[in-house]
Amino acid sequence: MLKKTIAALAASIITASAANISGAGASFPAPVYFDWAYMYQKATGNQVNYQSIGSGGGIKQVSARTVNFGASDKPLKPKKLDRKRLYQFPAVIGSIVAAYNIPGIKDGELKIENKDLAAIFMGKIKYWDDKRITEDNPGLNLPHKEIVVCHRADGSGTTFNFSYFLAHVSEDWANNVGIGKALDWPTGLGGKGNEGVASLISQNPYSIGYVEYAYKLKNGFGAAVLQTASGKWVEAKEENFKAAAKYAKWTPAKHFYQILALQPGDNSYPIVAATFILLPREATEMNKEVVKFFDYSFKHGDEDAKKLGYIPLPEQTKEMIRSYWKEHGIY
Amino acid sequence: MTRQERRILLNNIIMFLSSAAAIAGMLFLFWIIGVLIYKGFTALNLDIFTYDMAPPGREESGLRNALVGQLMLVLGASLIGVPIGVLAGTYLSEYGGKKGRLARLIRDISDIMMSTPSIVIGAFIYALLVEPFGHFSGWAGIAALAVMMVPIVLRTTDDMLQLVPGSLREAAIALGAPKYKMILQVVYRGAKTGMLTGILLSIARIAGETAPLLFTSFSNNFFSTDLNQPIASLTVTMFNYATSPYDDWINQGWAAALILALFVLGANIIGRIIIRTKKGDR
Repeated sequence: MLKKTIAALAASIITASAANISGAGASFPAPVYFDWAYMYQKATGNQVNYQSIGSGGGIKQVSARTVNFGASDKPLKPKKLDRKRLYQFPAVIGSIVAAYNIPGIKDGELKIENKDLAAIFMGKIKYWDDKRITEDNPGLNLPHKEIVVCHRADGSGTTFNFSYFLAHVSEDWANNVGIGKALDWPTGLGGKGNEGVASLISQNPYSIGYVEYAYKLKNGFGAAVLQTASGKWVEAKEENFKAAAKYAKWTPAKHFYQILALQPGDNSYPIVAATFILLPREATEMNKEVVKFFDYSFKHGDEDAKKLGYIPLPEQTKEMIRSYWKEHGIY
Repeated sequence: MTRQERRILLNNIIMFLSSAAAIAGMLFLFWIIGVLIYKGFTALNLDIFTYDMAPPGREESGLRNALVGQLMLVLGASLIGVPIGVLAGTYLSEYGGKKGRLARLIRDISDIMMSTPSIVIGAFIYALLVEPFGHFSGWAGIAALAVMMVPIVLRTTDDMLQLVPGSLREAAIALGAPKYKMILQVVYRGAKTGMLTGILLSIARIAGETAPLLFTSFSNNFFSTDLNQPIASLTVTMFNYATSPYDDWINQGWAAALILALFVLGANIIGRIIIRTKKGDR
């Protein structure tokens, strides 16, 4: 009662300006959301304040209803969405790359087998000139330097997708580390957000870490050549991300729950992930405002997303999302 | 070696060690200030004050919204924290007495509060003002900073008022002044420079806080003066920018650090000048 009175009082003192939306969560799509919000504000005057606090934080804050939308790279299962009373839809697709900073070795020169990548992140391959790495890279002069592993320290959807991938290519990883937003890391340095991991990689020579492709582009790191689901070498390049993304099978009835790692195809980069928006079901009016922002971005934001290294959703997926919105009365 | 020589030697060793420690402390201070000034001034330009925060790599990018937000937060916290702190300090010194049980309890509690990690205060305000209301807000940030401020102002006010000699109070009472007049016109007047210094130092203290704002006032990428909404602050922006991988954001983070440091340094220096001039008067 008191709470309501105070809230009403406060609201009457300060009349809200144009629809201001606040959202928080994943750092993986943060660069593109910042850009979309910037353009949306220029075009409509509405402010979409997105804060990059990690997928774990995004799920927590939208569940606590302290933000208007949450963002997570780890999709929530339909059951969990029902329990937390949330809607969920994808916003954009990105890719996680194994980014390295080895003086003298350029982008895309280093090949790492998927299972060896797991061994590196488990601390079982300790030096860059380990036989398991050199045998795949006969032309490269790899130094006898210790590998500095950089990973996330916060609850992260990027970690979820990366560990999902590693668990499916390495039994050792699946049995001893597992899949999750936050892991019990056997080795390495922890950073907060994709931002934090990117800074760690750039500050530490001979390091390797996993970041969203946009962060690799902005920082000029090298990205390792990995393997497709069937074991073919595949470069971390936009066309290969797209090749993987086209295998996505979206089902609105499951709130688009879908993990995109290890898709079939000869050119499919193995760690591609969609990033999701979470909306509180009861906030119909505010959801309409949030949906307007994403609708605008779907219409006008593709070029921006591509420039930053993301893959925009295909038109038919966007249509699918629009009918999902309509079905729930928020479009 | 005679006893005298041994004592001189020991004396010299101790002197050397303590001077070395002092120099090491100073060295780090000047190192920090030096790096801050160098990196901060190279990043500082007019755009910082005229444009709002923008995504990395944009031309029209600044910190205007964070500066305004920071001022609003600090001002709001001061408006709440200073009166409560001064009044509570007055109670302790003038009504509670040195030995009073309640006064002693309050003093102990405020000492504990002063050493409470600021992130704990942030979490407390989150549970009290963010979760129940369903949004991050400038008010929550103000409340968190005010909670931090009260014990500092309370203790300095208490200490300063107690420095006023009891004979002055007795003289005022003897002349027939009621107690409130005695406090307002005699005790406050005698302690005002000390109280003002305490207030300035407490403002300087809270102005540099990030932890209590992280999940109360949150942050805002846009210009907003609505305290019901998340609001940007220099400290949180600095934290976000400094840990980001973008060069332009990192530079702006340095500029924010410099502005903040100059503000805090300014408040400290003004506080010290006030103490100096007071001593000169005597």
